[in-house]
Amino acid sequence: MTDSSDSGSAIREVRLGATREEGGTREVSYVIGGERGLPFSGNGPERLLVALEICDDPRFWPPVVRDYVGDLANNPDEWARAAERTYGADLVRLNFTSTKQRGFDAFDTIAATTERVLAATTRPLIVEGSNEPKLDSEVFRRCGEAGEGERLLLGTAEADRYRSVAAAALAYGHAVIAQSPIDVNLAKQLNILLRETGVPQDRLVIDPYTGALGYGFEYSYSVMERIRLAALADDADLAMPMISAPTDTLSVREVREAAPADQDAMAVAWEFYTAYSALVAGASIVCVRHPLTVERLKKALEV
Amino acid sequence: MAMKALDIYKHLPKTNCKKCGYPTCLAFAMKLAVGKAEIEACPDLDPETKALLGGVTRPPVRLVQVGAGERSVAVGEEFVLFRHEKTFYHPPGIMVQVSDTWPEDEVRSAVEAVRDTVVHRVGQDLVLTGVAVKNESNRPERFAETVALAGGGTSLPLVLIADDIASFEAALAMSGHYRPLIHAATGDNWQALAALAKRYGCPLAVRATGPGELAALAGKCADAGVPDLVLDPVPRSLRDFIATATEIRRAAVGRTEPALGYPIYLDAGSLGETDATLAAGILKYAGIIVTPPLSPASREAALTLRQNIYTDPQKPIQVTPGIYPINEPGPSAPVLLTVNFSLTYFTLLGYLDASRIPCYLFVADTEGLSVLTAVAGGKLTETLVADSLKKFGVADLVDHRLLVIPGYAAPLSGKIEDVTGWKVLVGPRDAAELPGYLEKEWKT
Ligand code: B12
Ligand code: SF4
Repeated sequence: MTDSSDSGSAIREVRLGATREEGGTREVSYVIGGERGLPFSGNGPERLLVALEICDDPRFWPPVVRDYVGDLANNPDEWARAAERTYGADLVRLNFTSTKQRGFDAFDTIAATTERVLAATTRPLIVEGSNEPKLDSEVFRRCGEAGEGERLLLGTAEADRYRSVAAAALAYGHAVIAQSPIDVNLAKQLNILLRETGVPQDRLVIDPYTGALGYGFEYSYSVMERIRLAALADDADLAMPMISAPTDTLSVREVREAAPADQDAMAVAWEFYTAYSALVAGASIVCVRHPLTVERLKKALEV
Repeated sequence: MAMKALDIYKHLPKTNCKKCGYPTCLAFAMKLAVGKAEIEACPDLDPETKALLGGVTRPPVRLVQVGAGERSVAVGEEFVLFRHEKTFYHPPGIMVQVSDTWPEDEVRSAVEAVRDTVVHRVGQDLVLTGVAVKNESNRPERFAETVALAGGGTSLPLVLIADDIASFEAALAMSGHYRPLIHAATGDNWQALAALAKRYGCPLAVRATGPGELAALAGKCADAGVPDLVLDPVPRSLRDFIATATEIRRAAVGRTEPALGYPIYLDAGSLGETDATLAAGILKYAGIIVTPPLSPASREAALTLRQNIYTDPQKPIQVTPGIYPINEPGPSAPVLLTVNFSLTYFTLLGYLDASRIPCYLFVADTEGLSVLTAVAGGKLTETLVADSLKKFGVADLVDHRLLVIPGYAAPLSGKIEDVTGWKVLVGPRDAAELPGYLEKEWKT
């Protein structure tokens, strides 16, 4: 029983992280992509990764996670170490939430924090640089430079702000997250724009934008399925691995308004159902914020 | 592939005898063509024609009803492999499993939880579907008693899970008339179980490893006179379930193997990871999912996922545009502009109800798009606001000309003022902050 959606064209492989032999300092590097069929169909390597998100300014982070991790929230490097060693994440996604504050200009800390987190971890790193278009060029330059040779996954490029990320990725050898709002054609257009800046195709990861469960997730789910089908049907501009980061998940009403004793359980359930479904739709990397969700996802991927 | 009404008509007797319940053969053909009639309804067809037309006119996945009455569930009658191709129609039944070895209290409270728990989301009431009773006591009378405790099928649909025929006989004697799903016919016992299912007119699950064996067994049971079947592929792993279920659905909708054209059964407790299995079943084609009792968090997330996946991708869940009085507003109450996306409306309503602030919700027709999406996509415009103000007669309801708009619609504020002549107040972005905002800022 074969048709175009099985054993079709392959998703392009993207390498994340660099070991010593590869010019970095990571103990492992990952290659994602390479599948030739629908997700979970056994057609291809299916290297699925779970990233724990951390940040450098916990004021802009969900209270349920702050309460759970306690002091770690004030030490990105300790937090990153725990993500890897205690919580079992395949990799860390470091969010520079400090760039959200008004008048931010502490660019030196961007570089320093990137270096500290790299030193605290042994695995590849995802860096979510600037939250503010005006800061893009400086922020991406600083974190890109600090991670030179480490083949970071740098985010996030969008249709109206991709040049600074692309420039940092090109200058320092990183891969790029390309985010578009839940639309196959917009995803494709952005990939083409990025290609024109010179970012090689095997350094692009599509973020189709993930709405939280109950808050638009169904659209994201279907767009991921459509992107994967287009890739298998030979659309080279969509044949990149996908990353899913349902960033609003822990601020939905169900989590915010859960009784204090149930908050962690609700947060984990909400993240788990969203992230697991994203994997079934074709994501190669899912990003979550509650440490307990990581273990649940890792276990689920074993059965 | 599906046949057109006229092509079907060519094969019918053309006597217009009405025995099928339709006035003419052509009318019957038209219903057949859209999967809304059964070929069996025409008594005057020879077996070959029946087989030919049956194969091309029935829905690729048969509609199977479990249970009777209000809470019964119908699953199957699906037409596509991916929801974006059209939509998924019949959300899977989620059946909470109890055992006949449990103390009565425990069974009772599990059943009550299924019966009474309702999750209200965007104007819909989401519930777990039914109860699966498993025979682990090896005592038929004990099994039957537990089935009775679970309501015997009178209120909630049931799945009866057992191995031996005596247990099924005992349980069916008391619940058989309420269409419980019998689980499961295997290569060894299918004759006896098919006979029981036929006697009571119940749906029957068939259990075999992989699509090939399932098709063979389903074929035998159908030939034995049981039309309503459900397929249990006995997955070894979650990946195996997803791959096999996909293969079954593909064969069904492609009509390459009619004996696979039935809903799929999944035991979410069998693989150790209940949440993941539930999610996989909801996403990938399960019709009946049996699960151990769920924590409140898992239950709410699973029901929400089921609601999401079974929402029509072309048509967001919407409320009727119009003006909605909240908390008995008078002529000086604020008018709050919003959109007709259900999620937006009910989110706002939740906060406004709780705040007890009297106001008018002024719901514009953005074709079901959220505020931010409607603004980004050009669906929420000053013209729409002006037209809607007129259409809903808002000016006659209040003695002021002040319009509170969502924070995300701020870019439209000047244009709305120009076109409507109303003064615009830009509210907060987050609905949670709306009551606080109104208390502070609203004065006429
Ligand atoms: C699901 C979704 C879609 C779905 C649509 C779902 C729907 N029915 O609306 C689809 C896939 C179709 C879609 C399409 C598009 N989308 Co869209 N989408 C989303 C997503 C993920 C969730 C939207 C949602 O459901 N929000 C929840 C509801 C409840 O929010 P809300 O209606 O705004 O209501 C809240 C507030 O506004 C407030 N509120 C509501 N009413 C009122 C009234 C008053 C008086 C007050 C004070 C407050 C208030 O209370 C509510 C709760 O806090 C958002 C991302 C996000 N996190 O918002 C992107 C998002 C809105 N989309 C975006 C875009 C760009 C688009 C497109 C233009 C892209 C495209 N494909 O061309 C299209 C436009 C649609 C079109 N072509 O017409 C962008 C908008 C960017 C911007 N800032 O302008 C977003 C933010 C994604 C992103 N980050 O890029 N989208
Ligand atoms: S029963 Fe058969 S012959 Fe009679 S009207 Fe219906 S389709 Fe025609």
